[in-house]
Amino acid sequence: MKMNKRDFIAIAVVVILSAAGFLFLNIGHAQGSEVVITLGGSEYGIYPLADDKVIEIKSDVGLNTVVIENGSVYMKDADCPDRYCVKQGKVKVSGDSVICLPHKLVVEVKSQNGENTIDAVAK
Amino acid sequence: MKRLISVCLIIMLLAFSGCAQNNAIDSEPYSKEFFAMDTYMTVTAYGKNGKAAVKAAKKKVKKLDSLLNAESKDSEIYSLNESGEAILSDDTASVLKSALDYFEFTGGAFNPAIHPIMRLWGFTTDNFNVPTEESIKKTLKLTKADEISLKENKVKFNLDGLEVDLGGIAKGYTSSQLIKIFKDSGVKSGLINLGGNVQTLGLKPDGSEWNVAINHPYLSGEYLGFLKTHDKAVITSGGYERNFVANSRVYHHIIDPSTGYPAESGLASVTIVAEDGTLADALSTSLFVMGEEKATQFWRDNRNGFDVILYTDDNEVIISEGLKDSFSTELQTEVIS
Repeated sequence: MKMNKRDFIAIAVVVILSAAGFLFLNIGHAQGSEVVITLGGSEYGIYPLADDKVIEIKSDVGLNTVVIENGSVYMKDADCPDRYCVKQGKVKVSGDSVICLPHKLVVEVKSQNGENTIDAVAK
Repeated sequence: MKRLISVCLIIMLLAFSGCAQNNAIDSEPYSKEFFAMDTYMTVTAYGKNGKAAVKAAKKKVKKLDSLLNAESKDSEIYSLNESGEAILSDDTASVLKSALDYFEFTGGAFNPAIHPIMRLWGFTTDNFNVPTEESIKKTLKLTKADEISLKENKVKFNLDGLEVDLGGIAKGYTSSQLIKIFKDSGVKSGLINLGGNVQTLGLKPDGSEWNVAINHPYLSGEYLGFLKTHDKAVITSGGYERNFVANSRVYHHIIDPSTGYPAESGLASVTIVAEDGTLADALSTSLFVMGEEKATQFWRDNRNGFDVILYTDDNEVIISEGLKDSFSTELQTEVIS
């Protein structure tokens, strides 16, 4: 019972394809975080953290300006009374968020593969 | 050729077993996000009972919020503060009982009767102002928590003008209650985040520990460090959370009950890690008020119930020895034992 050359090649091909698939799914996927914005509990938009962008969010309750810049996201401006969201500063790690309570606006950094770097921030 | 087929089958089997494990019913999360208790909450439970548990949890939060909010006219606490006596619901009575216990336990550093002082500073309405020394002195006389008598559900204030505020303990009590709901529902793994008051149940579904970052009081996007933990509440208090600037000074919301002024204890933040969320919430405020020396002594005297992460105004991190293998930080750290 010897393996012939064709068996060998076939096994090698299967193994290489599997490995490539594994790497694609696990590593390719893990790269990159996204910014998920929800307003009043409904999804407002999803943006890649890697792409600089200014997002103006107007609603019945007020105005917020979210800025994605150099792999971080922050609340540049808001017309809410306490402006804690603006004071909160930049966030970049997946699992962290910037929240504007008076406007019910949540800006979260999430990992695209669902495996956030942190599960929560105690604050 | 037969062999080739079997090799392929084995590889496929291995590949799919990996997927099957990831999608196993016990690792399916069910999550709800909502606004309550003046904050943003996320409640997550894993496994087949997760959905029912999270729904029950949300209901409990709404109920506790409606009972305990001292600023809401419909709450039990509001009407108690108006009339000075009441027969409380079981939940409110139990939170008040805990609050009075921590008042004793911390020698007054935790004070549920601080409400009149909070109002004087404007922390209850966000209409901030620096009160006169005289008005603080006068108002301090109303903050006598030992003039509250509580027998089972019956409460009476023995001092006119006394008012309670359970805000310093309500979220910790709530997260503990939610963990109880999770356990009673058969949930083995879950995470509760009540606006930064964090409590974990079990390990993560993949068997690893939860990774909880501790907020840095001054540097945005940075953390004091990361805590690997399970079955614990992680609750942080600091003057950075709520404050206002007047006369080019920062006045924050953690009032030292002995002076009536924002606590200036040399600490920038205090994190308590404990199984009991109520304890963690009450002690995070209390140890912040106590300052480094008294706080470390308090931990030494009561070390079995909790662990601490103190961050001083001099940028030093002090942790109790129970956390030395689970807390990682790049800052200079002292371990107390």
